[in-house]
Amino acid sequence: MLTMTTPTTTPATVEVTDMAVVRRNIVTDTRSRDRFVEGVKLLKAEHLGPTTRDLGIPGRAVPVSTYDLFVGWHHMAMESFTPASQGDRNAAHRGPAFLPWHRFMLLLLERSLQRVLRDRTFGLPYWDWAADGEARPAQQPRSAVWSDACMGGQGDPVANGPFAFSSSDPRAWRVKVAANVHNQLVKTDRGLRRAFAKNGLPGLPRQAQVTAAVDLAVFDDAPWSTASPGFRNQLEGWRPANAAPGLHNRVHVWVGGDMLPSSSPNDPVFYLNHCNVDRLWASWQARHSEVPYVPGASAHADLTGHRLDDDLFAFMSRPMKPRDLIDVSAVYTYDVLAQ
Amino acid sequence: MKPGDLKGFGDPESVTEAVTARSVKKKARGGHGAGHVSEVVRTATHRGHRITVKTTYTIDVDGTPIAGHFGVTDDGQVHYHAVPNVSFDSAIDMVKKLIDAFPDDFPPCPDCDAVGHDAAHADHDHPHHDAGHGGGH
Repeated sequence: MLTMTTPTTTPATVEVTDMAVVRRNIVTDTRSRDRFVEGVKLLKAEHLGPTTRDLGIPGRAVPVSTYDLFVGWHHMAMESFTPASQGDRNAAHRGPAFLPWHRFMLLLLERSLQRVLRDRTFGLPYWDWAADGEARPAQQPRSAVWSDACMGGQGDPVANGPFAFSSSDPRAWRVKVAANVHNQLVKTDRGLRRAFAKNGLPGLPRQAQVTAAVDLAVFDDAPWSTASPGFRNQLEGWRPANAAPGLHNRVHVWVGGDMLPSSSPNDPVFYLNHCNVDRLWASWQARHSEVPYVPGASAHADLTGHRLDDDLFAFMSRPMKPRDLIDVSAVYTYDVLAQ
Repeated sequence: MKPGDLKGFGDPESVTEAVTARSVKKKARGGHGAGHVSEVVRTATHRGHRITVKTTYTIDVDGTPIAGHFGVTDDGQVHYHAVPNVSFDSAIDMVKKLIDAFPDDFPPCPDCDAVGHDAAHADHDHPHHDAGHGGGH
């Protein structure tokens, strides 16, 4: 079954191109911005057949949009502990796989957007949140990314911009699956929520914090968790402890609302944040090209799911391995890397 | 990676096939099930001695249990997988954040005196003093 709630016909495939696409800053590249908004709305309106039962949601089966499958995938990865005997590191967070797993997710989203947009040159945009972090905290909620033409602003529900809620408009952006307080994915039907700087964090990450992370010469290290030294853990936002939540985590917490739970891909800003995180990883890779991804393939089995040749947690495609995702320069590049 | 390595990625048929296959696998997947008692086991070694610290949480709000899995990292930070991007010094602070983050799950409690409750328990809201049974970080 393939149904669309808009008149658009969804192409079945996206032609593979030999050209690497370029991912650009959403604030300065209006074409990337507008195509991203158009594309995520198309994915939100596309129903390929999977239902809420495929996401483990009890009760009557309801079709799940392609966009919302990504929400479910992220949630499921987060509740898959690696290994199951501990409760810190999961298949996509709090461990080395944080960066390759999200690169995998972004690639699949980018390919899906290229398909529904019928545009093989489309590259995901990123939000350079550290640039906004240099503004005074009171100004940050009014930065360009939150304008009507970009992501809209905050609210419960968000009331302006392309993802504004309208109870009378069936095409308005609606959150259909979300994590509840028991960390179970449940059905819902409401508008998107954002609450800027309402969680004890007045400001976004700053450029000096980005620079400090990119300067680190170790990718990751024991105990391969939120207590690790190294670039991954600092970019994820668990270290330095006295500044946590930092960088990636801080953006989730600062935006608030639907960016807080494990169903945070409900907010398209999730992808702008993670595209910037991926850009910072690419920046780190360019700076430290001689430093390998760790843990290596022969590391202890407790690190299964995070080692170089392990399958990353998959749901919407065949798995990829961290090794597959180390050099992606033939598939995409960034217009500007972080210094 | 070469562009050709992504052939089929994101195509409707491949998405549907993968979701169907993973959906079946999901039923057999392990992990932490939801329960009303959440136990965290931390281990370490020191001078040849093996340390095991078990921390058990039983948390409710307005008498309703919070059923997800809580965690404690080796440095004593409390976290909860429903709010994955932040850790807390205090489990009380964490539960306050859950109430803020999941308004749909916490309807108004007419029998609760919110102001009096907070005031009466203010002395519990300190790091590492509210870690539940068998706690300590």
